Order: sequence, then C-alpha cells, then structure tokens
Amino acid sequence: MSLTSTVPAGVGGAVSAHGLGGAKDLPIPSELAIAGAVAALVISFTVLAVAWREPRYDAATSGRRAPEWLDRLVSSTALTVAARTFGMVAFLYVGAAAVLGQDTLINPFLGTFYVLLWVGLVPASLLLGPVFRAISPARTISTLFSKVSGAPPGEGLYAYPARLGYWPAAAGLFAFVWLELVYPSSTDLGPVRLWCAAYLGIMLVGSALFGTTFLARADPFEVYSSLVAKLSVWGRRDGRLVLRSPLANLDTVVARPGLVAVVAVLFGSTAFDSFRESTAWLGVVQEMSVPRVLPDSLALVVFCAGVGLVLAAATMATGVTDSTPRRALPDLFAHSVVPIIVGYIVAHYLTYFVEYGQQTIIQLSDPFTRGDDYLGTADLQVNYWLSMHPTFLAVTKVVAVAVGHVVGVVAAHDRAVRLLPRNHQLTGQLPLLLAMVGFTVGGLYLLFAA
Amino acid sequence: MSARALARLAPVVLVLAAGLSACGGDEEPAPADTSQTTSTDETAAPEDDATSTPTDDATTAPEDDTVAVTVTREGGDFTPNGERVELGVGQTLVLTIDADEAGELHVHSTPEQDIAYGAGTSEHEITVDRPGVVEVESHDPDLVLLQLEVR
Repeated sequence: MSLTSTVPAGVGGAVSAHGLGGAKDLPIPSELAIAGAVAALVISFTVLAVAWREPRYDAATSGRRAPEWLDRLVSSTALTVAARTFGMVAFLYVGAAAVLGQDTLINPFLGTFYVLLWVGLVPASLLLGPVFRAISPARTISTLFSKVSGAPPGEGLYAYPARLGYWPAAAGLFAFVWLELVYPSSTDLGPVRLWCAAYLGIMLVGSALFGTTFLARADPFEVYSSLVAKLSVWGRRDGRLVLRSPLANLDTVVARPGLVAVVAVLFGSTAFDSFRESTAWLGVVQEMSVPRVLPDSLALVVFCAGVGLVLAAATMATGVTDSTPRRALPDLFAHSVVPIIVGYIVAHYLTYFVEYGQQTIIQLSDPFTRGDDYLGTADLQVNYWLSMHPTFLAVTKVVAVAVGHVVGVVAAHDRAVRLLPRNHQLTGQLPLLLAMVGFTVGGLYLLFAA
Repeated sequence: MSARALARLAPVVLVLAAGLSACGGDEEPAPADTSQTTSTDETAAPEDDATSTPTDDATTAPEDDTVAVTVTREGGDFTPNGERVELGVGQTLVLTIDADEAGELHVHSTPEQDIAYGAGTSEHEITVDRPGVVEVESHDPDLVLLQLEVR
C-alpha cells in the first residue's frame, strides 16, 4: 500500500450504512423555498390563463432539419462504433475493478455506478440526446450476438408484448433505487456486482427473446436516458436528425403502458432520498426495534406508489372524448412530469454529481487500490467551489425546480388541449396542475426541511 | 426448431451458464476482509486528521467559541437520536462521550473523520471546514446520532 491514511478496522461496514459521499447539502433557506413555491403557483395559473388554445406540438411536423453534415456524422458507422467501443471499454474497465478490485469505498466501480452512470446520464442525455442507448454494453453485446449468429439485427424470437410497455423498466428502476437508497450494504462490492450481473443477464436474455425492443422498453438506464433525452434539442423525424425546442421534443414521448410507473419511481425515489435523511424520519426509524431496512423499504414503496396514484387520479379526473379512454390518460400525460423530475434531480444531486463525480474520476485511475495512475487523474484535487457557495447553490436549486415546473405545466397544457373535449380543456387540466404544484412544493419543502 | 432460432438462443444459454457458474463461485470468497480494510482516501489530507484528536482529560472546558454536545451510550442505546446541531465553518464542536463500553463514531464530513472512544467519559473535538450537513454516526449499532448543520 503506498497511499494510506490508516482507518481502524471495521470502517467499511459503518460507512456503507451511510451510502457514498460525505457531507450533504445544507437545507435551502425558507425564503427561497417559499419564493419557489409561490412562483410555481403563479406560473401554473398564468399558463392556464394565457397559453394557446390550439395544440402546438406535433411530432410529425415539429423540428428544424439539422445541417446535413451533422446528420451524416451522427448517423455514421464510425460514430456508432466509437460510442459502442467507448461503452464497452468503460464497462470492461470498471467491471475489472468490480471483480478484481478491493472492497473499499474508493473502488471506482461504486462511484461510476451510482454517480457517473446514474446521475451523469441525466446531464449527458439533456445535452446529447439518448446517450445510454448509444453506449449501452447490453445493446452492444446483444448486437454482437446477432451478428455472430446471423440473426436479423434487432429481432428476437418473439414480438415484445405491447401491453408490457415500460413496466419492466419501472421494475428495474425500482430495483436500482432500492439498492441505492434502502439496502444497507449498498456500498459493498459484492451485492452491487451481483445487481449488475443480474441486470446484464436479464437484458441479454430479454434481447435474445424479444430483440432490441426489449432494451428500449425494459433497460432501466436506457429508458431513463431516452426519456430525459426528450428534453434535449435533438430529435428524429422520418429518420432525419432534427432540432426541436425541448417542449416540442418532449411532446414526442410515446405513451406506453407503464410510463406513469417509470415517472412515479423516478420522482418518488428522489423525494424519498430527501425524506429519509430528515431528522423526523431518523428519529422514528431509529427508535424502532426492527432493522431500518423494513421501514425504509415501506416508505420508498409509499413514495413511489403515492406519486403514481396521485398522477393517475389527477389525470383521470376530467371529462373525456370517445377517442381517448380515461384509463389511457395517465400514460398520455406522464411525459409532462419528466421536466419536474429533471429539475428536482438537478436540485437534489448537483453537488453530489459535481463533487463525488470528480472524486470518482480521480479514483478511476487506481481501480485496484494499488496506487496506480492509469488515466493520469490520480493526483487531481476535488474542487469544492460549489459546497463553499451555499447561497449560489440554493438559488440554482430553486431555479432548476421552477424551470422544470414551467416546462412540465406547459407540456401538460398542450396535451390537454389536444386530448380533452373542448368544454373540459380548462377544468380538465386543473387536477393535474394542482398535482404538479403539489409535487413541486413538496420537493421544495423536502429541500428546505431535509 | 430451425438452426437460426437455435442460434438466437445461444445468448440465453450463455447467460444462464455464466449465471450458474457465477453463483457457484460466489460462495467461496469471504464477504470482506474487514480486518484489514485500508482506506486510502486521497483527500484525507494530514491536517484533517488532526481535527479529531481525542483529548482524554476533561480539563479543557469548552471555550466561548465552541459548541458542546454530550453523547451517552448505554449498551446499544444512544442519545441524542439524530438531533440537528448548528455549527460554524471551522468552529469546534466539543463532543463529550459518556459510554459504558468502547466504540467508534464516524463523522461523515468530506473527508471522513473517525472518533474512537473508550469506556467512561471522554472528550473529543470536531471541526468541519466546508458548509454542509454532516452526520455523526455510531458504528455497530449503526445509528445517526447528530446531524451537524455547518454554515
């Protein structure tokens, strides 16, 4: 061991009960939380009062053609292969750390999995579009298999059952957030490795049976990334690369069964993450005689199911036309919660991503904890500028939440004027509007109280 | 079944085989060599290590510019139970630990700080040099005792 600051035995276990990362963000000041909540309310009703009365977004016509050279570059085999190679190299590199590295918190596998992948796919997809799809090791391996076996690429033995929709992805996302936020050994190498192996196994079997459609519907990371990518400016129309406003792009989310569950797990789990660290919840669970994992699991389920039920009830509480059954409404409106989720995730994870992300990049140079410097990053220092400026941080968080809320409300409004019968267009979107205000204010409250 | 369909089943078989062999292999390695866990945290600068130096005599009474908190341990029961404590950046928290058995506390600042305490009453100092919420956690049983709101 070259670099050592000796820490007494048994530290691994205690730290793992805590999760990755050290200090958490300070709560946001109450004035800012209130300002954010008032802004959310005002914006919501302003949108309702002044926004357009005819649907504005249409996937079939929206978007400006991207320059020819850019389209050619993005669709080129070279870029595809480069992205796949990057994904596989990163996967094998981190996989080696996971299998051969030591079971310590500085094994870069943990930071890569929880921070660079899970949190990082949000900014990456916002900027570049569906990046995980382009680098996904599961997709690459599945494509290689079909090349080798001579099967038509993308096809499986069976057609993917349409009514499954995104439900498998919702289950996968829940499995991830449970591992991250509830499972006591979430930072022990063994269980995380097992989770990843199970994930990869399910993806490969699924794509062999149902083709790559399975990955587009069931891979939690791919579904998450592709959903967030709908808030980027990049889209496709008739196979051509187009530039769209994020709002127009968001409208192109295809509603499938389970979409509302995906959204509910993403939002509910992030809210739970704030909640579980609140003094009130700590006091309650630590007084209990049962292990913390039980009440935490229950609370996570309640948060996710609660968000899903509120969304379902709020979207269905309206008059409908004959062409759109009431039961279809939750999935048809679920896309409008995505910006609220992204805003809240920015608020919740910004410091963690920036600071623990840097830490992970430093750790990646030394995957086996031997003092190596493979990538030349081992000697970098983490920049804690963000932590040192808590006011800037708090303002950024509230702005992110408010912007997410505006985009969400506008998206829901446009969908409402498209789908709802004319005499229900205003009253019909009120329940969802109130639910969104509730989510945003609830999110701000948790940022303030946690 | 056609040869093509069989070929498409290959990944399924491979994954199942890999999965089974992985399960078989997983039982062998011991869960963790916790006895020799050596954390090599690059950010653990030497000056930070000095902040958690235990001072075993109670002669240094808390000065004006410190915050004093008493932690009691009776068996597996700790007080306080996840209480919030406000602390300034760089301000010293004087932690008086009154324990009936020895143990260890972790201060989840960045970087981490560890406090080993013995049975009886001991006094320890903590400072945190960046704003944030820092949990002070006991290990075995795993409980959050304090949340330091450092600003």
